Amino acid sequence: MFRLNAIGLAVACLAASPAFALSQGEYRFNGFGTLGITHLGGEEEGRSYGIHGQTNDSWRGDELSKLGGQFQYGLSDRLNLTTQVTVKAEQDTWKANLEWAYLSFQATDRLTLRAGRLRIPVYMYSETLDVGFTYPWLRLPDEIYHQVQISNYEGVDFIYSMPVSYGSVSVQAFGGQAEDREQFAYDQMFDMDYKKVVGANIKLDTHGYGSFRLAYSEASLNMTMPHLAPLGMADVANDVKGKFTSIGHQYDQGSWLAASEATRLVVEGPTPTKDAFYLMGGHRFGDFLGHVTYAQLDEENSGRQVSWTYGLNYSLTSNVVLKGEYKRVDTSDGGQGVFVQSGGEYISDLLAGTSRTFDGDIISVGLDFVF
Amino acid sequence: MKIFARSISIIALTLGAFSVQAEVAVITNHAAAAAPTQAEVANIFLGKDKSLTGIDQEGWNPVKEHFYTTVTSKNESQLKSYWSGLIFTGKGQPPASLAGDAAVVAQVASDPNTIGYVDSAAVTDAVKVLFTLP
Repeated sequence: MFRLNAIGLAVACLAASPAFALSQGEYRFNGFGTLGITHLGGEEEGRSYGIHGQTNDSWRGDELSKLGGQFQYGLSDRLNLTTQVTVKAEQDTWKANLEWAYLSFQATDRLTLRAGRLRIPVYMYSETLDVGFTYPWLRLPDEIYHQVQISNYEGVDFIYSMPVSYGSVSVQAFGGQAEDREQFAYDQMFDMDYKKVVGANIKLDTHGYGSFRLAYSEASLNMTMPHLAPLGMADVANDVKGKFTSIGHQYDQGSWLAASEATRLVVEGPTPTKDAFYLMGGHRFGDFLGHVTYAQLDEENSGRQVSWTYGLNYSLTSNVVLKGEYKRVDTSDGGQGVFVQSGGEYISDLLAGTSRTFDGDIISVGLDFVF
Repeated sequence: MKIFARSISIIALTLGAFSVQAEVAVITNHAAAAAPTQAEVANIFLGKDKSLTGIDQEGWNPVKEHFYTTVTSKNESQLKSYWSGLIFTGKGQPPASLAGDAAVVAQVASDPNTIGYVDSAAVTDAVKVLFTLP
C-alpha cells in the first residue's frame, strides 16, 4: 500500500497541465431534465405534501418536472466560465432560474477556486439535486431533502482533491450569502435572507467500499411574515443561526448499490431540531434497477414521519431512464412531517390543543435524461 | 480488496462472455515517466487522478465496454451517470475521445503524458503495453 502511495505521489508531482479544465476557446453544452407526474392518495381531499407542497390528490407534473442546461466556456486554459439555467415549477408557475454562474480557476491539478453563484453543498446529493439521472429515485427522500430550501448562494469556494492508494479524497470549503430566497412554510412563500453562509465537506472515494461524505454548513437566517405584523410578530427570524450536518455513504459496484444519509438541522430558538436519515438498497437486473428505501424524520417533541419507498427503474437508452415509485408515508405523535399544514390549521390545532397525524400513498412515474 | 476486485472482474468477464470478447491493452508512451497500476488507471479515466491524460474511445464499442467494466466496474449507463454527477457539479469533464484504435495508438505514441486502451491486435511498436485485460 505504501509503495503504491509513493508512486501515486511521484506521478502526481510530475503532472504538468491541468487536463480537466476546458482549454481556451473550448466550450461544452450539457443538458438534463425530468418529466414526471406524482399523486398523493389516502389523505383527505386537498391535502398536499412535498418540498413545495406540490404533491396532492391530482396527478401533477410540477413537483418533479424540470429542465436544465449548462454551458461551460474556457476563457483561458485555467479559467473557465460555467452557467446553468433550470426551468422549474414553483407554486403553479414555471420559472427560469439562473442556478449557477461562476468562474473557476484551476490553480493546480488538485486545487480549484470558484467564485460567483454556486450550488450550496449541504446534502449528499445537493450539487446534482436537479439531475435525477444521477440518483435512483424520482423523489429524493423528502424527509431530508425538504429541510434546506435554498439551492444556491453567491460566494466563493475551493475544492482540493487528490488521488490516494485506496481511491481519492476531496475537501471543499465555501462562504457567501443568499439573499431574497423564497421559503415555503404553512402553504405560503416567504422571503428569507441567508447571511454569513459558510460550510465545508470532506469526501472519501474508495475503490471497493463506495464513497463517504461528511458535511457541515451554517447560516444566519432572516425571515419576515408580513401578515403577522398586526400581532407584532412579523420578524420571525432575525439573525438566527441555522446549522446543518450531513453524513452519507454511497456504494455502487455494478449490480448492488446502496446509499444512506443522516442529517441534523439545528435552528437556534424555539424551532425544533430535526433529525433524519434514510437507507436505500438496490439491485440491477440487466436494464432494470429495483430499490427499496426506509426514511425517518424526527422533530424534537413534535412527532415523527416514517416512509417506505419501492422503486423500479428501466434504462431505455444509456442516457434516458424510466422510473416508477411507490412511497408510503405515516406520521405519528402529532407530527406533520412533510405534509403541508396551513397557518390557519396550525393556529386552530394550537388553540384546541389537538394535533392530528397524516398518512398517504405517493405514486410517481417519470423519465430522467441527460444529454 | 484484491479478492473483491478479482471477483468483480470475474463477474464482468462472465457477463462479457455473451458478447464478442476482445482482449484490451492499456498503452502508454515509451517515454512515460510512470507505470500506473490498474487502480490508478481507473482513477485516471474517472477524472480523479490527473497525472496522465486519458485518451478515451469515441462512442461505445466492445473494447470500451470491456475496459470500463473490468477496470472501473461501470457499464455504459453507470459511467454516464457518474460523469453527469461531475459535469453538472462543475467538478470534471470526461476524457477527450478519439475514433478507433489506430487514432488512440497514434495519439499515445506522440504524447508522453497520455494513456489509452485499445484492442490488443491494434498495438504497434510505437507504444508500450502497461497490461492487458484478457
